[in-house]
Amino acid sequence: MYRVMGAPAVVWYLLFLAAPLIVLLVVSLGRRSPNGGYQPGLTLEQYGQLGTRWTAFANTVELGLVGTVVCLMVAYPMAYVLATRGGRYKTILLALVVVPFWTSLLIRTYAWVFLLGNSGIPALLRDLGIAEGVRLLNTPFAVVLGIVYNYLPLMILPIFVSLDRIDQGIRQASKDLGAGPARTFLRITLPLSAPGIISGVLLVFVPVLGEYLIPVLLGGGQIYFLGNALADLFFQSRNWPFGAAVATAFIALVMVLIGFYRKAASRLAPGTEQEGML
Amino acid sequence: MIQIMTKRSGVRLVAAMAGSVLFLAACAPGTDEAVGGEGGDAEDAELGDKLTLATWPNYHDPAIIEAFTEETGVNVDVNVYGSTEEMEALLRGGSSGIDILMPTHYAVPGWIEDGLVQKIDYSKLGDVDLSTWNELFVDQPFDPGNVYTIPKNWGTTGIIYAPEAEDPVTSWKEFFERASGDLTGHSVIVDHQISSIGSAAVALGYDLNTTDPDELAEIEQLLVGLKPDLWAITSDVQPPLRNGDSWSSIAWTGDGVQVQRDNPDYEYVIPDDGGELWVDNWTIAADAPNAAAAHAFLEFVLRPENSAADTEFCLFPHANPAVQELLSPEVGENPVIYPEQAAIARMTLSSAEAYNSEARAEMWARIKSSS
Repeated sequence: MYRVMGAPAVVWYLLFLAAPLIVLLVVSLGRRSPNGGYQPGLTLEQYGQLGTRWTAFANTVELGLVGTVVCLMVAYPMAYVLATRGGRYKTILLALVVVPFWTSLLIRTYAWVFLLGNSGIPALLRDLGIAEGVRLLNTPFAVVLGIVYNYLPLMILPIFVSLDRIDQGIRQASKDLGAGPARTFLRITLPLSAPGIISGVLLVFVPVLGEYLIPVLLGGGQIYFLGNALADLFFQSRNWPFGAAVATAFIALVMVLIGFYRKAASRLAPGTEQEGML
Repeated sequence: MIQIMTKRSGVRLVAAMAGSVLFLAACAPGTDEAVGGEGGDAEDAELGDKLTLATWPNYHDPAIIEAFTEETGVNVDVNVYGSTEEMEALLRGGSSGIDILMPTHYAVPGWIEDGLVQKIDYSKLGDVDLSTWNELFVDQPFDPGNVYTIPKNWGTTGIIYAPEAEDPVTSWKEFFERASGDLTGHSVIVDHQISSIGSAAVALGYDLNTTDPDELAEIEQLLVGLKPDLWAITSDVQPPLRNGDSWSSIAWTGDGVQVQRDNPDYEYVIPDDGGELWVDNWTIAADAPNAAAAHAFLEFVLRPENSAADTEFCLFPHANPAVQELLSPEVGENPVIYPEQAAIARMTLSSAEAYNSEARAEMWARIKSSS
């Protein structure tokens, strides 16, 4: 019975996970044909050039980390207020967090192009006499803003869930035993919400690493993520084998990073493995 | 949003999404079977009932496509892409089910060499006579004798400048000098190595299509140094122009027409020192499921009155003078759409070598990832 029930899942994994990965690996061992595309081969030379995409990789990890940390700093207080002060509006407030997701990512990001462009917020700052000649669009700042804006709900929701689960009685007990609000937060609330933080960070950081759209629209092509390098390799350069090699190396690297992260996370917050990680 | 989907536009969303599907498409056996005679259309059974087109956004007058369906019973499925590269990825993936593609000329030699396209059977096209067409676009090295391709519309890579630029920007030399000078922070180059590296090459006095390592090194130095001074590297050039962020921008004919139509203060210029000329071409895929209908469609759209309707719609110039005669004055006599022949004769068709050059592609990646 279990075997029959599991069949769709097995087929799913084979078709949509294993097969594409195998194709990727095979292509990465080939050569670019002179007119572009893929020529079968069995060589590691594509992997030898990985260094040429180091800057794109470093940009991605750096801005991805900054974006994730800012996301966490914005999301935690929001989730905290939702969970502890939401009262009977909790469900509505929570739904409002998700509402922006109903509009396409492209449209929401495109809207920022106009807000951050010179006739948007910089014009407002100028007219109010606050600052002159501010440039916001096509800067690392704009890319981080785009990341925080687009991925915020993915951070808020898991943190909210873990905060919401904390028994109010525990916090009350902490206070009864003489701990102040700060101590209660640091010793009780924060550790108990760690599983949410850990999931939230993963949920944001991993997709951000594959981000393509935000650097294009808000970075103005000036900020080059690995996703952009990949798109260029498959289209402008038509160098499929090298593109496949970059993608394979990247997948391997992300898996290693996640492995380390989980290990570190389970040491910091024991029991998180079971607490509904990815 | 319209701008996002304009021809050759940079936001390669389709690309990003198609990319993930590509691998699946590549490993799955093709399910499209050739549409044979059993399409069962009353009027012209041997044409089948479906024709699939891979082309640019807003490139065909829908009325013409409808008229073709009415005349032949063949339904036309129009798929749009933001770049020749996307069409090529589709074609190279195999079993795309596409009959007709619309590559820009520089991709054509590689497609012919790799057997991706088929010869056009001129006997099925009625009285098409390419010898009367603008000589800059027919019988060119990318397809001598037009054996595999027939030009649809052509265009230029020029400069749009805004009134804020004050003095006109009239040459590539001036464009790149002023981008680091009085127009710092307000210039845009397109995210397309052929046009951007090529125009920089022209600015330095080199050939648009150079692949010479020393010349490329000098161009790279210029562009890497320029990058911090640019507003953006994007092929979606219209939003920053309309927004007042970009004052001087590399742009293609279509952008020039659209921006100037809405803001007559903006100018689109063909640079004095030349630059890139390009032409999109009707091609039939080697594995076209329905080559018969593809030929019938070419015969239909190449009738001057139909090409004229298409040209009025897409606002790119057509190489057939008989078509130009049928255009309204607003289009046929618009200097942005139809610049003087002397001006375009200074320009160069971008080459397949430049398009296929790994050196240029890698250099472009270095420029884009530099800071």
